[in-house]
Amino acid sequence: MTKEERLKKRHNAEKRFRFYGLLSVSLAVIFVLVLIQNIVSKGSSAFSRTTIATDISFNADLLEIEGPITKKSLEEAEFYDLAVESILKIYPSKDSKEERQVLRLFSPDYEYEIKRYLIKNPDKINQVASVELTSSDDVDQLNKGNFPRDLPEDRRRVSNFQLNIYDNLVEDGKIGKKFNDYFFSKGDSRDPELAGIGGSLMGSFFTITICLILSFPIAIMASIYLEEFAPKNRITDFIEININNLAAVPSIVYGLLGLGILLSVMDFPRSTPLVAGITLSLMTLPRIIIPCRASLKAVPPSIREAALSVGASKFQTVFHHVVPLAMPGTLSGTIIGLAQALGETAPLILIGMVAFVVDIPGTPVDPSASLPVQVYLWSEQAERGFVEKTSATIMMLLGFLIVMNFIAVYLRQKFEKKWN
Amino acid sequence: MELNNSKIKIKSKNLNVYYGNKQALHNINLEINNKEVTALIGPSGCGKSTFIRCINRMNDTIDICKVDGSIEIDGKEVNDKNVDVVTLREKIGMVFQKPNPFPKSIYDNIAYGPTIHGIGEKKDEMDKIVETSLKKAALWDEVKDRLNEPGTGLSGGQQQRLCIARALSVNPEVILMDEPCSALDPIATAKIEELIDDLKKSYTIVIVTHSMAQAVRVSQKTGFFHLGKIIEVDTTEKIFKNPANKMTQDYITGRFG
Repeated sequence: MTKEERLKKRHNAEKRFRFYGLLSVSLAVIFVLVLIQNIVSKGSSAFSRTTIATDISFNADLLEIEGPITKKSLEEAEFYDLAVESILKIYPSKDSKEERQVLRLFSPDYEYEIKRYLIKNPDKINQVASVELTSSDDVDQLNKGNFPRDLPEDRRRVSNFQLNIYDNLVEDGKIGKKFNDYFFSKGDSRDPELAGIGGSLMGSFFTITICLILSFPIAIMASIYLEEFAPKNRITDFIEININNLAAVPSIVYGLLGLGILLSVMDFPRSTPLVAGITLSLMTLPRIIIPCRASLKAVPPSIREAALSVGASKFQTVFHHVVPLAMPGTLSGTIIGLAQALGETAPLILIGMVAFVVDIPGTPVDPSASLPVQVYLWSEQAERGFVEKTSATIMMLLGFLIVMNFIAVYLRQKFEKKWN
Repeated sequence: MELNNSKIKIKSKNLNVYYGNKQALHNINLEINNKEVTALIGPSGCGKSTFIRCINRMNDTIDICKVDGSIEIDGKEVNDKNVDVVTLREKIGMVFQKPNPFPKSIYDNIAYGPTIHGIGEKKDEMDKIVETSLKKAALWDEVKDRLNEPGTGLSGGQQQRLCIARALSVNPEVILMDEPCSALDPIATAKIEELIDDLKKSYTIVIVTHSMAQAVRVSQKTGFFHLGKIIEVDTTEKIFKNPANKMTQDYITGRFG
């Protein structure tokens, strides 16, 4: 082979490598884009909800309030009769079957929506006012265009009678579209139009906070001790190997640990962020210790020598110089560990966080769901409304993960100091 | 005889150092005079740095390093278990091969040592210490207007003088210098050498160097190390003009090493 030929071969090898590299990067980007496009196209409609403007006659007699009408008495009153009568007055129906169909155009919460309206506008008592009631999931999907109208009636969730009312409502301009505040403020529900991630957001927040409080100090102390103070011998080698092993243990095993020890032996309350936080911090600990130790190791020995040579003790050297310099890596390692914990589903299922919880948890010892488990729960539901809510929840979860990773990158860049 | 003895600041007797199974220093016997510059020369890996790191017990930080034998400073054993290394290192400053300022301001670089030893607790006292340390290291005029800028932003020569100032800030008696000029250009080197010449009036200095010329210029006494053994120690003049050992002769004339 002549020199020219060999040179050409070397150049070609480099070109091929560049091409393969470019190819794999583009494939990765395409996959991510397809994933995001899929989620966004399915989920974005969950951020709006359909309302039906309905004239309600607030007939005080139907509320059966004894004594004067006050805010308190209104809160205690039953609005069901008033609501049903008002609605059925607008949409006359032949029989009780049609009546049911009319009422099913609305979310089951209509009586409370009417009650909330009156409490807010008490001067409307004994008057007629137009109230924007949340529609049922069927009407919502109809309005969002997700509903196949051309199917035969017996295979549709919406009857011809209901379709007729809907079309009239559209003509009258009574169908409205609002930002879906329920999605953020409400807990889980059997009715997709009333289901929200409020509960699972709080659950995830409590879980991650507990996970941070438990795992961060322990991981930092453990890595500082192991890296800077511990003698290098068989025991520390053994510990180091096992920390690496623990980081690779499937997360569901930690779930079993939480179930076996926290729930069965120690009798902690089931389905709570407290147990979830403890379980996830067990899982996160080794995953934080590893990057922490790496960033401590990356601090150049010359800095340690400089501090020691002016008479700093080992403790002062470590805490005045090494730890601050390792901080950016430590913090970003922690945040990435927490981001993993935030997206973890399997261990939470084992400790009972899959329970159907309607209430929004106020404390870490209240039963609750968490974002990834909420995705899992809703993905099993058949209603079209839950499909879009599943994707919307994934969007929220991905949003939090991206924000956390950005914070990690930002911290690393901001606090990274140059050293020689 | 009595007078002669008090001239000796550091004295090593049968000092042996091992890195794991490898012996790095063999029976080193060396006397270092008070307020004088002692240069240690020899080829790379001969144990010069290991030796000076024994003086302030920096080798303690290396797990596999084992030291036996004795080093005395002012007649007090350094390797004794009861010796507090923190106080020892306060007394013996060290300057390293590569300038290693803390990634902090120039002021904080100097103030760190005194702070941890509880000197200069008042702001004006500390200002004074910083100023005198920088003046002693001949850096004051160059940096007095930017004491709050990071020490790592200085040039290599300035950084090294900052490190010398940092070593001086805790008022040491001995300064160990491990090839302090190896990363510097000739002009910066000249400045450091000038400084060393000045410092020897108040400090005992041990300098490891690869430059024969530097040893001649700055030191009064020179020790030649080879393969972990000390081959010859004498006045610098004697070593370079009329060495007793053939190996020393070969090394300083550049025939090996």
